[in-house]
Amino acid sequence: MKQQQRENAIVFADPERCLGCHGCELACALAHSGTGLHQAALQGLTLRPRNRVVAAGDVMMPVQCRQCEDAPCACACPTGAMLQEKGAVGVREKNCVGCKVCVMVCPFGAISVKHEGSEEATGRTNGGVARKCDLCAGTGREIPACVEGCPTKALTLVDLEEYRQSLIEARAAELAQSLQFLKKRKAKL
Amino acid sequence: MTLNLTTDPSAATLLPIAKKEGISTVWDRHRAMQPQCGFGQLGVCCRICWKGPCRIDPFGDGPQRGICGADADTIVARNLIRMIAAGAAGHSEHGRHVALALQGVSQGKLPAYQIRDEAKLLRVAAKLKICTEGQEIQAVAAAVAKATLEDFQSQDHDAPCNWIEATLTKERLERLQALHVVPHNIDAVITQIMGRTLVGCDADPVNLILGGIKGALADFNGMCLATEISDALFGAPAPVVTAANLGVIKPDAVNIAVHGHNPLLSEVVCEVAQQMDEEARKAGAKEGINIVGICCTGNEVMVRHGIPLAANYLSQELALVTGAVDAMVVDVQCIMPSVAEIGACFHTAVITTMEENKIKGASHVSFKEETALENARQIVETAIEAYKRRDPRRVNIPDFKQTAIVGFGLESVVAALATLNAEDPLQPLIDNIANGNIRGIALFAGCNSTQVAQDSSFVTMAKKLAKNNVLLLATGCGAGSFAKHGLMTQEATVEYAGDSLKAVLTAIGTSAGLNGPLPLVLHMGSCVDNSRAVEVAVAVANRLGVDLDKLPLVASAPEAMSEKAVAIGTWSVALGIPTHLGTMPQVTGSAQVTELLTQTAKDLLGGYFLVELDPELAAEKLLEVIDERRKGLGI
Ligand code: SF4
Ligand code: SF4
Ligand code: SF4
Repeated sequence: MKQQQRENAIVFADPERCLGCHGCELACALAHSGTGLHQAALQGLTLRPRNRVVAAGDVMMPVQCRQCEDAPCACACPTGAMLQEKGAVGVREKNCVGCKVCVMVCPFGAISVKHEGSEEATGRTNGGVARKCDLCAGTGREIPACVEGCPTKALTLVDLEEYRQSLIEARAAELAQSLQFLKKRKAKL
Repeated sequence: MTLNLTTDPSAATLLPIAKKEGISTVWDRHRAMQPQCGFGQLGVCCRICWKGPCRIDPFGDGPQRGICGADADTIVARNLIRMIAAGAAGHSEHGRHVALALQGVSQGKLPAYQIRDEAKLLRVAAKLKICTEGQEIQAVAAAVAKATLEDFQSQDHDAPCNWIEATLTKERLERLQALHVVPHNIDAVITQIMGRTLVGCDADPVNLILGGIKGALADFNGMCLATEISDALFGAPAPVVTAANLGVIKPDAVNIAVHGHNPLLSEVVCEVAQQMDEEARKAGAKEGINIVGICCTGNEVMVRHGIPLAANYLSQELALVTGAVDAMVVDVQCIMPSVAEIGACFHTAVITTMEENKIKGASHVSFKEETALENARQIVETAIEAYKRRDPRRVNIPDFKQTAIVGFGLESVVAALATLNAEDPLQPLIDNIANGNIRGIALFAGCNSTQVAQDSSFVTMAKKLAKNNVLLLATGCGAGSFAKHGLMTQEATVEYAGDSLKAVLTAIGTSAGLNGPLPLVLHMGSCVDNSRAVEVAVAVANRLGVDLDKLPLVASAPEAMSEKAVAIGTWSVALGIPTHLGTMPQVTGSAQVTELLTQTAKDLLGGYFLVELDPELAAEKLLEVIDERRKGLGI
């Protein structure tokens, strides 16, 4: 049977609510580390968030992967490490050689290729792997860590089917109301 | 409901009522606050200047220095010692208040107060090396007050505060002096911490922490004098049987809850309430006036007068949800501002009493020592008036109440021991430690925290340590936990103490006329009274001719939360006592500070912090520490 096609979900940031606290970065870095806050700090781990809070003009908000439908990163990746997978653009870390082509083509600067963890680079590899928002796939959580961690609820995970559905319904309800109003006025006349 | 967040049986009755009435409690607010800010938890957030706030990326990818250049180690150390300064300030303000009252009494200016325990005052004077021969008691009081107030005034940086000098072992004092951490003036040391942590000042984490240790020792000094002078004014505690938990609130009485820390007010309220009992009965309260305690004000009047304890820190709001508290009188420290709001949901009059501690929505009676009797009368009248407005349909007093035998200061411990050996009261204790009947001593101190299911860590650890024959002392909200959960009873000793500990407690209790063993946990008073435990330890150490860091003695704050606990924990370490924390201190963002506190301190001071969130494991680790110390002593 043919699968119904859905758009990739995204994390949406509302710049009017973002306080710039970097809480989402911390939550993201931890969620992908598989350890707790104090443990990671005590072990001196280098952890990296997949999102980045920026201030530009009057706007402050985290920027992260848009999970593009025709993802330049996935198109450009020579090893197939970036790919469409389960409603998101995923990264197969073991395939990544750290060539940074994806970094060059991503219009949002959402990808970094750096070493993470505590081991030192060996003579052969710097240990850098492409990292970007994967909607917390593989961390076993239902809601992405950044969404859960944001104290002002500036972040939401948007399922676009649902989002569109609720938009359509709202507009349809308005339309229906105005039609009713017009009908009533006509009846009066 | 949030029952996993407290183990207090009263909560099961009262939390559903709070929910139904739309009253939010500390646990609701804790949940609403989740998740909490990681930068703050690690201590790497700096708000010391207006270029900030700055925060260090704990994981090394982002900024490693604040705008001024301070790194995580500097920021964590500064934040930590500011907490110590705040804790020390709280205790020493309390101490100053009590010392000034003693001075007022010596000048005959305070009709509400007397020296109730002259023997204690004389002992204090002797300790401070004040000559008392042929002196009137008023004159002794004046001299003690003067020597005490010098600890807030001396400008000689090389002369230790009088109290700390009189209190510690000689060896300990020398060790601390070699590190230049002995305070010369409490106020000056606290001010110095604020000064050195200003933007652009002390940036060396080691130097900062040493400054913090000095502040913590100033805290110790403030606590010693507050405890001892309170004893002189109000009487040293002696064993007394009373009760704890919310069942001590009476449906047919005017219930007045005294809450906070300072005994100056609560003592007078208790006294005046007794005189006004008839008025309460006239207002319809068949049982007259019933005073109950909350937090350390509660502990103060509990150990001195057997006033029952209704709640410790986290259950203070539940006391109001019973709908039967007519007035809650608060002074300083650990009073949740939410009590005013919850009081307003009922008929309860929430009354603040200190000029520097008001709460929006509470009424205020400006308490002064000179007018203490009038102030107390006004408070009791307000309570009786409120009682008349009480809605009996909204009264829900949980049927939970435990007996508690409390009141074990140095004097009463020694008195109990003296029944075994009048010549040398400490000898039986020392013999039993030496022969292993008592494996070691653990002091449980202070605080409830929403990071731990209320009281659970206290109770779990105490049962495990007691089973392993560790003698247990407790103060503050820790003592409140044990009292509420029935561990300050003779039955608890029979049920939970290991065989040899049980035998010792039974021998002492029986010969002291208690018709059975001492309670499983000895209640030493409020958190300011942690100094009592040090007094016992110093007496034992001096007797054995060793310093404190050789004794099989450990301290634990399994549910710590207050800045005061940071100060207490730090002086405990500085005195050579391994000190367990059961909640995560906000320092792990700095590897250097963490190492200083948990490892380097061991070499410098003999004491160190031991962090273990699991109470079972924590008890095991403390047992190991005790055994290590025993080995060191060759016993
Ligand atoms: S956690 Fe929320 S408020 Fe804080 S920076 Fe991220 S989006 Fe902004
Ligand atoms: S990383 Fe960049 S290019 Fe790739 S899917 Fe995300 S936003 Fe698009
Ligand atoms: S003192 Fe330094 S680290 Fe702290 S807020 Fe100011 S610039 Fe930032």
